[in-house]
Amino acid sequence: MTRAIRSELLKIRTTNTWWLMGLGMVLFTGLALLINGLNAHFELQPQTIDDDAPAEIREEMIREENERYSEVHSAAGIAKIAANMYTSGQFFGVLFIMILGGLIVTNEYFHQTATATFLTIPHRTKVIVAKLFAAVVLGFGGWLLTTVINLATTAAVFNYEHISMSLDRWDVHRTILLNLAAFAVWAILGVALGTLIRSQIGTVVTGCVVYLIGLAAAEVVFGLVHAYLIKEDWVITAEVIVPSIASMIMVTPGEMYPHAAPQWVGAAVLIGYALVAGVIGTLITRRRDIS
Amino acid sequence: MIIFLLPRRTEGGWTYTSTVGVALHRDGRPNMSDGQIVVDGLVKHYRQVRAVDGLRFVVRSGKVTGFLGPNGAGKTTTLRMILNLVRPTAGMATIGGVRYPDLRDPIHTVGAVLEASSAHRGRTARNHLRVISTAAGLPASRADEVLELVGLAPAARRKFKGYSLGMRQRLGIATAMLGDPTTLILDEPANGLDPEGIRWMRNFLKGLAAEGKTVFVSSHLLSEMELLADEVIIIAAGRLVTQGPMEQIIKSSTAQTTVRVRTPQADTLTLSLKELGGSVTAGDTGALLVTGLEPPAVGAAALRAGVELHELVAEQPDLEQVFLQLTEGKAVIR
Repeated sequence: MTRAIRSELLKIRTTNTWWLMGLGMVLFTGLALLINGLNAHFELQPQTIDDDAPAEIREEMIREENERYSEVHSAAGIAKIAANMYTSGQFFGVLFIMILGGLIVTNEYFHQTATATFLTIPHRTKVIVAKLFAAVVLGFGGWLLTTVINLATTAAVFNYEHISMSLDRWDVHRTILLNLAAFAVWAILGVALGTLIRSQIGTVVTGCVVYLIGLAAAEVVFGLVHAYLIKEDWVITAEVIVPSIASMIMVTPGEMYPHAAPQWVGAAVLIGYALVAGVIGTLITRRRDIS
Repeated sequence: MIIFLLPRRTEGGWTYTSTVGVALHRDGRPNMSDGQIVVDGLVKHYRQVRAVDGLRFVVRSGKVTGFLGPNGAGKTTTLRMILNLVRPTAGMATIGGVRYPDLRDPIHTVGAVLEASSAHRGRTARNHLRVISTAAGLPASRADEVLELVGLAPAARRKFKGYSLGMRQRLGIATAMLGDPTTLILDEPANGLDPEGIRWMRNFLKGLAAEGKTVFVSSHLLSEMELLADEVIIIAAGRLVTQGPMEQIIKSSTAQTTVRVRTPQADTLTLSLKELGGSVTAGDTGALLVTGLEPPAVGAAALRAGVELHELVAEQPDLEQVFLQLTEGKAVIR
């Protein structure tokens, strides 16, 4: 098994794809950091209240602003901003990792190297499991890369803002670790998708559609069902069955939106998808004729 | 008959070895003389087509065996079934008595060069070989050794996309030789090779067979096969047509010797040859092609008729003629 995993990792290292994806990840993380950093900066500033407002409304506004300001500057408030900074670039990073996971499998068919791979290791389940391991290692790499960039940038920004990096808080640790879980699970989902679809372009397109459009489409569909068909709150909770929503629920501390499913359900749904797709993909691969 | 099944721990789980019949594998690796390929009733049905239809043959070690058949005869499918890449509908194939997936160290036992075997376009030849050596537990230095062996060492660090067809075939052979296997299976290895490359391949494969290895080669190039193979297996429409030593196959064929004669008095000679029961057709550049008569009879007939001869050549049937005769009408597109 070790040989198979080492061979898979060598396959990844000996082509350009990994560092091109890494570069893409760095760019998107930089962009996300810029937006999140600016957001954090303005959120941390006290907001000036319009002088023209009528006195009674103005009083109310000042009270609300003071409340907001002290909440943002509380330890929990700072931690929330910090956690957001530390997971910058997650949205596209996870997408890249999923695509890489898919390519680990589809490359074998696209470049017709499946023949050599299965001649060397005739037990195909072993090959797929090695690919899953390699994908998780990739996921870990992606997480490490983005997290290191995020920590360094956040340190500079927070130093400028004179606030604590909150690295002693469990809720911050948890968010960083859940970010890792997202990278790992989507890498596995990518491999599973590749074994199911086999076509390079088909896997990439399906992955992107599920990840990007699935989110918006699910919100529209579930929203319509809730508004016109079943006016129960569990419909909104059930949105968690959509992979990209499950992922967001998993990494968002607390309730992502009213009536959202708990965090652990999001994780369970994602792991469920990875398992089902992985098992079906492996069974298909075991029976498939390689020509 | 009672068959005892002995459980044995292998890398992929438990394997059950039967204790009667052929001793399957004592240590999972057959010895040199044991590398023969046995194809036992292989059948492969695709939706509409019986690609391979009850094929049975043995490929012996220490010889180069040619695997011939018209397009679509099922050669590639058969080779892929032997290598566990395609699942047979029925029947089985063994190498040294062991099914491919049960081999403990497959690439130490069998090396394969398949038509579609390829590498990632963006990976260098050396890295391609290192990926496979790593999976097989071989040292990385083995990649350099086989590159040297096939003469690709100067291009080792070039990416696969820059390789010519001939270089790709050599890389395929290098891949097959990584584990220094006892059995080699090659699908159309001469495709894309230049004359020098073809000669190199011929000597290389003959050398391996001389070492006692089993060499099984499919090809369309019949003249090349005649030079290379000691034995031939001919299939058509998924079925075995004939199997045996090359010379025997050619001799046993009913394809007749053709006598080519050239004369300025073609009409006179044709007449007298026909009287003797020969059949005469006009060949190219004015020569006559005579069948049904031995060369001395043709010469004697010319002397009796007082005909001047410029050329008299006996043309032995070659593998191509035998092949075409044996597979005639079977090479239908299915």
